[in-house]
This record gives sequence, structure tokens and C-alpha cells, in this order.
Amino acid sequence: MRTALTVTRIAHACQLIEIGNLRILTDPWFTQSATYYPGEPLHWTARALGPIDALVVSHEHYDHCDLDALVAAGFDLTTPLIGPGTVATIARGKGFRDIRAIEAWESTTVAGLTVTATPGAHGVHEVTFVIQAGDRTVFFGGDSLRVPEMDAIPQRFGPIDLAILPVNGLCIRPMNLAQVVMNAEDAAALTSVLRPTLAVPHHYAFHSGRLGDQMITKADQDPRHYADAVARIASDIDVRLVLPGVAVTVP
Amino acid sequence: MSAPVPAGTLRPTRTRTVDVESGGPTEITLQDRDRTRPFLLLHGGGGPATMAGFADLLAERTHSRVLLPTHPGFSGTPKPDTLTDVTALARAYVALLDQLDLQDVTLVGNSFGGWLAAEIALLRSPRVSGAVIIDGIGIQVEDHPPTDVTGLTPAQLQALSFHDPNKAPVPPNAGGNGSGPSPDVRALIGYTGPTMSDPTLAGRLGDLHLPVHVLWGESDRIVTPAYGRAYAGAIPMATFTLLPRTGHLPQVETPEELLGALLDLGRR
Repeated sequence: MRTALTVTRIAHACQLIEIGNLRILTDPWFTQSATYYPGEPLHWTARALGPIDALVVSHEHYDHCDLDALVAAGFDLTTPLIGPGTVATIARGKGFRDIRAIEAWESTTVAGLTVTATPGAHGVHEVTFVIQAGDRTVFFGGDSLRVPEMDAIPQRFGPIDLAILPVNGLCIRPMNLAQVVMNAEDAAALTSVLRPTLAVPHHYAFHSGRLGDQMITKADQDPRHYADAVARIASDIDVRLVLPGVAVTVP
Repeated sequence: MSAPVPAGTLRPTRTRTVDVESGGPTEITLQDRDRTRPFLLLHGGGGPATMAGFADLLAERTHSRVLLPTHPGFSGTPKPDTLTDVTALARAYVALLDQLDLQDVTLVGNSFGGWLAAEIALLRSPRVSGAVIIDGIGIQVEDHPPTDVTGLTPAQLQALSFHDPNKAPVPPNAGGNGSGPSPDVRALIGYTGPTMSDPTLAGRLGDLHLPVHVLWGESDRIVTPAYGRAYAGAIPMATFTLLPRTGHLPQVETPEELLGALLDLGRR
């Protein structure tokens, strides 16, 4: 029998991935500010998370690395925190004690769990992750752009059960609309290469407030654009559009 | 960016029971989720009458909740002694937003209201997500001092305030002499002091990290477009839009053009 694999979005790119008895939390975000809104209900507060075996953080932006909320909620700071060097530096300052800094193609293990950083690109340094335990493999795309090196992931890691990909194609208006996150078409093309059993989009409900959406960010808030694009170019791959709090079990 | 607060706490889902009369008393249990993006309109020295028409326009066209308070002391309303300056008034409005439990509020202020919008934004309430400053006053700009409006006749004031003084509204009781709404200078000075500016404001605006849209009437002769550009230049995240054929009160003189400019921003 295969190891059980379930994913539950808490909000945005903050996902609880459960593989067997292991509980992995990605890109924590539990708060909002004047120009950062999750745009969807927060399923759990930081206090309600329960025990976490590993914390996986792709980069240091506030909406992916809300370590302050975890610390304020009494999060166990001995929990292994896995991320690139940029995140490790911040985590050290917040009091985390078991920090595993990994860059692209480097791995670390935590009690039966192997996390490998994979390439990424964003407005700041970012990595993506392949998360493996038992006979399961998950790709976590954070809020990265699609980069060609990602196409090597299936050869290196074998079949992928679950791919979690950003899809809003976020552009930064003051940077002449520079794109910093993969859009629906980019994500669908990557999906067709990764060929997961199940693909789940995230990172699309976010907004910057009324004026912020006009002056800071531009993003696609409709995840159907991704589902439609996958149906067009890789129609045999299953896509699930999921609300926060819905536990999705991967066959 | 203001200090983060737990997501969903500013406007949580509220469940309450409502009693209605419908063929007999009926109690309905109601979950209320409100994610509207409200506007807080801040009038200038001319009082709420200078904003009311635009408030209607904004509410109708954007299907938004539009709040238009009368600053205490204007239009004969009482003003407590504690409201000694613009910052104190700004604090009162942040308390109002707290009490109304709003989030993602856009401030829109004209003239003195623009200064007030800046002061509210500087208080970093997580409820305020941006500000629109229309022909604002308050900063001091070398070589571009605001025109001193004290002692001017209504006709002189209109000549300075409107691109086309013929467009100035005629109050119902003015007998058609076109005197229009004149500023309540006494109420205004009660907040601003006689200089109607704050030498520290421009410097403090450098710490404002909210998106701000600064709009200016090209024909404003109270505070000129050069003054307006300096206003926008003092704010790190500001965009400047010049409104043609428009004076100091765009929301009165060219409201459709003003609304269009607000909605056009970022549309590309």
C-alpha cells in the first residue's frame, strides 16, 4: 500500500503537506497588512497548526516567510527549518535552532523526509523544493518563475505524485511590469513536463489593496486559466482547484 | 507597509440574529461577510458640500461604500477642544475606521482634505491601504507658496479656484450671484493654524510607504501644479496625474474627468 499523501492549503502558498505521519508546512503566512491581503480565508491560525515536522520556506518575502507570526504563536523553534541561505539568515535571527540552508540540487533529511532544493527565480533569491517521504514525491513551486532547469526534475526524482504551482503571473508595476511569478501558461507548460498525478495551483487570491493593485502589483486572480491551459496541452493530467481548508488526498 | 495583523481579524465573519416583521415576528440568523473596499472622502475648506456630488458619483460608478464625514467644526458642527491640529483630527478618523471595522480603505482628500489624508496615512493604520490627494495643501515648497485666501472676496477666490469660474456652483440661497461655496476659514485655521501649512510635513511624507495617487488641476492657482509635483515627489510611492481644464476643486469642476483618472490608473 502506498504512503498516504494529503495537502491542505492554509492560505496563499502556505500549505500543510502530510505524507504518512509527517507534517510539513510550506511558506508560512498568517497575517495581513495595509498592502498585503491573502484574498482568501485563512484556514488555520499559526496557533492552531498542531505539531509540524519540518518547515519549508522558499524565500524571504513577507507573504512566504511570516516567521514572526509563528514565533508569536509559540511555534516550536527546534522544528527543522529548510530554506535557502537568505531565509536561513532571517530564521537564525528569529530564534530558530535547527536551520538547514540548502541551495538548488542540495538535500537535507528529517526523520524519513528528504527535502531537495530545486531551481527557482523571483524578484529575490528563491528556490523551489522536491519533498519526498515513503514512496511519495511532491514538487512545491513557491511563487517562482518557470526556469528551464526545472525540466530536469522528473529525470532526477522519478514520477511526481503532486505538483503545487503558482499561477498568477505577478508583475511589479514600479519595475516596468517585470514578471516575477509564473503565469497560468508557464505553469501549465511546466506541468506538462513534470507530469504529476495531481496538480494544484496556489498563489492567486492575493491582492495589494485597491490602490496597491493599481500601483504596485498586477496579477491574474483566476485559477481556471491554469486548469484550462493544462486541459489544452496535457489533458490527461488531473488539476484540482481547491479552497483553503479542503484536504486533498492524492491517489 | 503597516504592522501586520492576524489575517481575517479586521473584518471577521459576524453571525447575529435579526428580527424582522413579515406576517409576524421572525428571527433570522445571519452570517455577514463584508469585503467591500470603502472610500473615506475628506473635504477641504469649502466643507462637505464640495464633496457630496463626487461622493454620489464614486458610489454609483464603483459600487463602493463611500463615507463623507464633516470635519468637526465645519458646517456649524461642534468641535471638541482636544482637536487642536490636523494630526489630532487624523487620529479621530483612524478611531472612526476602527469603530466602523473597515479594511482596505482608500482615503480621498481635496485641498485641506488632502493634507488630512496624508496625516491619516502617516498613522499607519492597517485599515488604510492607500490615499488619493487632490490639490492638497499642507507642505511648504520653496518658490511655490500657496496663495493666501484670507480676506479674498468670493469672486476673487473663484477666479483662483476654477479653470472656468462660470462653472462654479451657485448655492441655492445666493440669488444667482454665483458666490459659490466659500471656505470656512475659521474652522480651517482651527486645525491648520494661520499659515495653513506644516513645515515638517514634506519630510515626514518620506516615511509614507503606501500607494498614493496625487492628482492636480492644471489651472489651480491656490496651489499650483508645480506645488503638486513637489507633493508627489515627497512621497516614495506616489503617482502624479495632471487634470486639464481643471482648477483647485476637480471633484466640483470636472468630476467625470477626476473619476476617470482614478479608475484609469494602472489600466494597461
